[in-house]
Amino acid sequence: MRAVGSSLPRFDAHAKVTGQALYSGDFNLPNQCYMKILFGERSPARITHLRLSAAVASPGVLAVLTADDVPLNEYGLILPDQEVLCGRVGGVVRSVIDQVLLVIAETEAQAAAALDLIDIGYEDLPGVYSIDEALAANAPLVHPERGESNVLLSYKIRHGDIEVGFAQADVIVEHSYTTHPQEHAYLQPEAGVGWVRPDGKVEVIVGGQWMHEDRDQIARALNLPPERIVVRYPAIGGAFGGREDISVQIVLALAAWKLQRPVKVQWTRSESIRGHHKRHASVASAKWAATQDGRLVAAQIDVSTDAGAYAYTSPKVLGNLILATLGPYDIPNAHVDARSVYTNNVPGGAFRGFGSPQGHWIAEMQMNHLAAALGMDPVELRMRNLWREGSELATGSKLPAGVTVRETLTACAKAAGWQKLAAGWQKSALDQPAQIAASPLHGAYSLDVGHSHKARGIGIATSYKNVGFSLGFVDECWATVELHGGADIEQVVLHHAGADVGQGAHTIMRQIAAEMLQVPLDKIELIASDTEQTDNSGSTSASRMTFMAGNAIKGAAQMALQLWDAEEDRPVVARYRYVPRPTTPYDPETGAADPNISYGYCSQAAEVEVDIDTGHITVLRLWSANDVGKAINPTMVTGQIEGAVAQSVGWTLLEDFKQERGRVLTDKLSTYLIPTVLDVPRQVHSIVLEIPDPQGPLGARGMAEMPFVPTAPAIAAAVYAATGIWFDDLPLTPERVALKLAQKNRAVS
Amino acid sequence: MKPPPFAYHAPTTLDEALQLMAEHGYGAKVLAGGQSLIATMNFRLAAPAVLIDLNKIPELSIIQPTAEGGALVGAMTRHVQVEQSELIARTAPLLHATMPHIAHPQIRNRGTFGGSIAHADPAAELPAFLRAVRGQVLAQSRRGQRWIDADDFFIGLFSTALEPDEIVTAVRLPAMPARSGWSMQELSRRHGDFALVAVEALLTLDADGACDDVRLAFCGVGEGPVLATAAAAVLQGQRPTAEVIEAAAAIAASDDVDPHSDVHATSAYRRHLVDVLAKRALTAACARAAGEEV
Ligand SMILES: Cc1cc2nc3c(=O)[nH]c(=O)nc-3n(C[C@H](O)[C@H](O)[C@H](O)COP(=O)(O)OP(=O)(O)OC[C@H]3O[C@@H](n4cnc5c(N)ncnc54)[C@H](O)[C@@H]3O)c2cc1C
Repeated sequence: MRAVGSSLPRFDAHAKVTGQALYSGDFNLPNQCYMKILFGERSPARITHLRLSAAVASPGVLAVLTADDVPLNEYGLILPDQEVLCGRVGGVVRSVIDQVLLVIAETEAQAAAALDLIDIGYEDLPGVYSIDEALAANAPLVHPERGESNVLLSYKIRHGDIEVGFAQADVIVEHSYTTHPQEHAYLQPEAGVGWVRPDGKVEVIVGGQWMHEDRDQIARALNLPPERIVVRYPAIGGAFGGREDISVQIVLALAAWKLQRPVKVQWTRSESIRGHHKRHASVASAKWAATQDGRLVAAQIDVSTDAGAYAYTSPKVLGNLILATLGPYDIPNAHVDARSVYTNNVPGGAFRGFGSPQGHWIAEMQMNHLAAALGMDPVELRMRNLWREGSELATGSKLPAGVTVRETLTACAKAAGWQKLAAGWQKSALDQPAQIAASPLHGAYSLDVGHSHKARGIGIATSYKNVGFSLGFVDECWATVELHGGADIEQVVLHHAGADVGQGAHTIMRQIAAEMLQVPLDKIELIASDTEQTDNSGSTSASRMTFMAGNAIKGAAQMALQLWDAEEDRPVVARYRYVPRPTTPYDPETGAADPNISYGYCSQAAEVEVDIDTGHITVLRLWSANDVGKAINPTMVTGQIEGAVAQSVGWTLLEDFKQERGRVLTDKLSTYLIPTVLDVPRQVHSIVLEIPDPQGPLGARGMAEMPFVPTAPAIAAAVYAATGIWFDDLPLTPERVALKLAQKNRAVS
Repeated sequence: MKPPPFAYHAPTTLDEALQLMAEHGYGAKVLAGGQSLIATMNFRLAAPAVLIDLNKIPELSIIQPTAEGGALVGAMTRHVQVEQSELIARTAPLLHATMPHIAHPQIRNRGTFGGSIAHADPAAELPAFLRAVRGQVLAQSRRGQRWIDADDFFIGLFSTALEPDEIVTAVRLPAMPARSGWSMQELSRRHGDFALVAVEALLTLDADGACDDVRLAFCGVGEGPVLATAAAAVLQGQRPTAEVIEAAAAIAASDDVDPHSDVHATSAYRRHLVDVLAKRALTAACARAAGEEV
């Protein structure tokens, strides 16, 4: 059996299923103490007094650490606009995500008890809690030290001549859109242990997505050289972008360094939900124009995202989002204005799709509206405008070779009942409503009266997502391959820092190494645990890890095989740095850029059933066609598709993150609802295309974010097909849907 | 979180349990399936000094036919046993239809019939069911025993007519009246969640096909199971035409309920659901009462 292309079991599956795998919260070190974090309670507010004596005197308490204890009290993945600890008189809390101070005690209960004894006073400051409030004239500033407005940054795209484009229009559609924040809700809340090793290095055992970046951020705040810090990633219970920014990493290192004792922290679910960023909320308006024959001639878009109180990855997310608002279409004239705005809400940041879902919510809903306005089949309209090989982006650069969005739409449309006739694409008239067997598990929803109040419909949407870091970032990925043995290779040791956040990256890395070296899988030992034994491999994000690690391992393997043949010495060691083709940043005036290394494509169709009285929507079937280039491990590919669909259906229909004046109202999994296995589509048809990406290792493309991106507009189109009503604001909660359906019924009667 | 410390007793007979209840009274709580109690203790919303575990008393776990053609359900009967009972499916089809709506299979494996009744969660289905069918609760203590009508048993938010030393030991379900029809309708955000609104309906048609004795009880819309008396009055003595049913449902929504708002739904939406679900329940119940297949 070949290593690549086989659905080999994950190497860590047995340990995870039997409970032997250790996650960061499972680590306990001799003589460890426990830390609790005081979070900001009001947002925004200035700290007027802070008295620690009662907490310090409380039983078991070892230390209370405040802003004064942090060597360099600022950090941030992209901008250092956040304090590690804001606890000092005169300090400002800008969001409930802020960490005010740390209490460290012999036991967790003692630390928690002492937290209640902190005597802290706040003076409320004027805040802004929505994009509109933040952009209003004379709005209070979230960061007065960062300039005159709450705009964190803005981008624009100026392509063609928008006036000429609108002058050619036969049909214009103009709509406003909103999207809502989403919580990552990974299985494992943030946890970890920090300690000072006998060799004087500070080691942090934690879950994250980029261990070398975590190390550098810790080193900076502690004012220590990076070599003094070791970050170790054990098994990680999900990430989805939610572990890209710092949560407990710096404070664990700080506490261990100050106390010279091992320190453990374990967040509760509520601490996790308020303690890390969310998918960005967005508001947009869009005006698109087409000719009668369905040719796009102009697109004008204005979009803003809610960055919350700190930058996190907002600038990078906005960079993706602005491009995604135009969809995968050739549009000769386009104007896009995009900005990210500080508010006193929980920050927005990385989350599977990274701005692409919000961008495509605009682009694909505009295409849905246009198809309806033109009376044209939605597949046909898309086919007339989709990118082709050699198409140019609105930023003036040619798309990298391997543009396969049409192939995904074709596969998806055919599976969901469309046909290509002489006159063009058409939904087959033969399609019958799905006969989905009523499983007993789904019985709880089956109503015991007839089904006359249920309406069904099918909708479709398409999308793309970049692979790898963008816009001039010099991305890199290291791999080291050691070959041991004599005449034959007896053992391979692969060093790679890429985080396996649960998606199976470490299995993929082994498969690629085995394939490249032509050795059996069990000869490969992967060392991927910490920053001491690996070189920087970049982040597990942007659907980049298979692409980047694969190329790095391929390079190192080829180099090692050459050394093996050329040299007598054993073992041979090959250290290889993969650097993908360069990209460029947006021109500030026109947006001109070659923004991304590569892209992945996905099209989806959804069949829904709408209860027209209650507004409750059930997704019966979902087809997801993805070009993955090469499925290194086919089972893991379908796992990613099904997982992405569960998450995107949750975002579209169910998940509703609520804040009130910056306070989180949904900080439990009983108030923030994510789909259970009974709430995901009853059938998810994964259609896996393998059209090689010329840049990808063995042809593989990044694929794990893409199946999130088109779900929401596909469902909204299906709801329109069922009810005749468009929903332009997410999420489609039953309450929102019922309200609009009732309005329509009243208007009709 | 973990619960604060408590003393624990596991009596093996009912007498022993009643003795312990008499001794500890206010400070004690009965532990049934623990699906609600343990969570409230872990969240420190309840801190009983003493837990009296009923799980080792086998005689509390029964389902028996009654002489009148109804059923007697022991307090410690698990939800899953009720769900799968042939006797219940035959004698109490409304209950049979209700059970799959209660939580998830895992919770139904542990949660008990009596626990759900005694807990009196305003979002729980069984209290509303019990009011709809005019069930009775058997309360026992060292002082004796008494049957309490469902209408008198539920007195408010998580509160019942039980005295501190009393245990619910059984629940009596009357036989289905002649020419009666039933229906259960519910909307929850996810499978297994507590209902946003659910309705339990049982009604009888007289010889002329007019409504007689309409029982429509809601959960999720008040401080306890809410009996829709105004809606019932609209239907009483009327032939259940679509117009009459629509009028009754509208009255249920406007006059019978006073729903709250929370992160899951506004009061206005819950009211809307009362209207929609009442209409569906009444339509289905009337059809069943008239002998139609639904
Ligand atoms: C995730 C989840 C979802 C749920 N969804 C639903 C739902 O949709 N619908 C629904 O109805 N319920 C739901 N429940 C609650 C479930 O049905 C519980 O089992 C039930 O409410 C309580 O039963 P129990 O046997 O677990 O009681 P326990 O938790 O043991 O006790 C609950 C309370 O009742 C008292 N009590 C118990 N038995 C007696 C007795 N015999 N005499 C006197 N007092 C007694 C206890 O002292 C305690 O105060 C859900 C629970 C969970 C965890």
